[in-house]
Amino acid sequence: MSTFLLILHGLLAVALLGSITHQAVAVVWPARSKAGFVNAYRSVSSRAYVNANIVLFLVVASLGGYIYPIYRVWVRTYMENARLFPAVGSFEIKEQFIAIGLGMLPLYWLVWRRPDPASASARTAVTLMFCFIVWFAFIVGHILNNIRGFFGL
Amino acid sequence: MNNNQIEKIIPVFSAAFALIYIVSVEMNWALFTYHPKIKQWGWLVEPARDGPPMYWYGWLVTSTLGAAAASVIALPLLKNRPTPYWLGWVVPLLVILSVFYLFRDWFLR
Repeated sequence: MSTFLLILHGLLAVALLGSITHQAVAVVWPARSKAGFVNAYRSVSSRAYVNANIVLFLVVASLGGYIYPIYRVWVRTYMENARLFPAVGSFEIKEQFIAIGLGMLPLYWLVWRRPDPASASARTAVTLMFCFIVWFAFIVGHILNNIRGFFGL
Repeated sequence: MNNNQIEKIIPVFSAAFALIYIVSVEMNWALFTYHPKIKQWGWLVEPARDGPPMYWYGWLVTSTLGAAAASVIALPLLKNRPTPYWLGWVVPLLVILSVFYLFRDWFLR
């Protein structure tokens, strides 16, 4: 069951990664023309991603929180014994970033709710911060999931 | 509480959440502790019973309650002011940067 949930956690994280990256690119590098792949990628409606990103972030974080005890008891202990301290530290940082992201979700919803010029800079900043958090968490999670292969253990 | 008031306190909530969260992590102000190996919960910060204790869930609840309280307290101060959107991302950004510093020991061993 935990393996299934871990895979589901990873798959939904991929969806969130794609969605938030798409939105972030459209925010900082918008395009009007849809000619070609790059322009088409940049010219999406950023607002259309908001609810999906919020739901995905909540679901991925909840799944991660649910399977977290397995990591804490077995995986982290294993990594500490193997003296893989940077890997443990990376997960610690990921955990804090996810928590900060959860606290920022209401603001993310608020700044995207309506096109208020006063919130334009906050909209860009919050979206980029979420994008960074999701990318960081994804990469760390991916490396830890394959830690034995990465380090030949 | 009407929509306008909720809108005004959301940035305060985000800022307070990040700030209280990082202080909770550093001071270990967990509202409860989970002992994953024996699947038991305990109030506030408890030492290990069997296997490592987990405080993350407790820190999240501490931060949520603390940020909600801070938001309600800040409401009268924001009554005649514009929504402080900047507060909601500048403080979390500083907290994110501080996390790298606070957890540097893992990378220096």
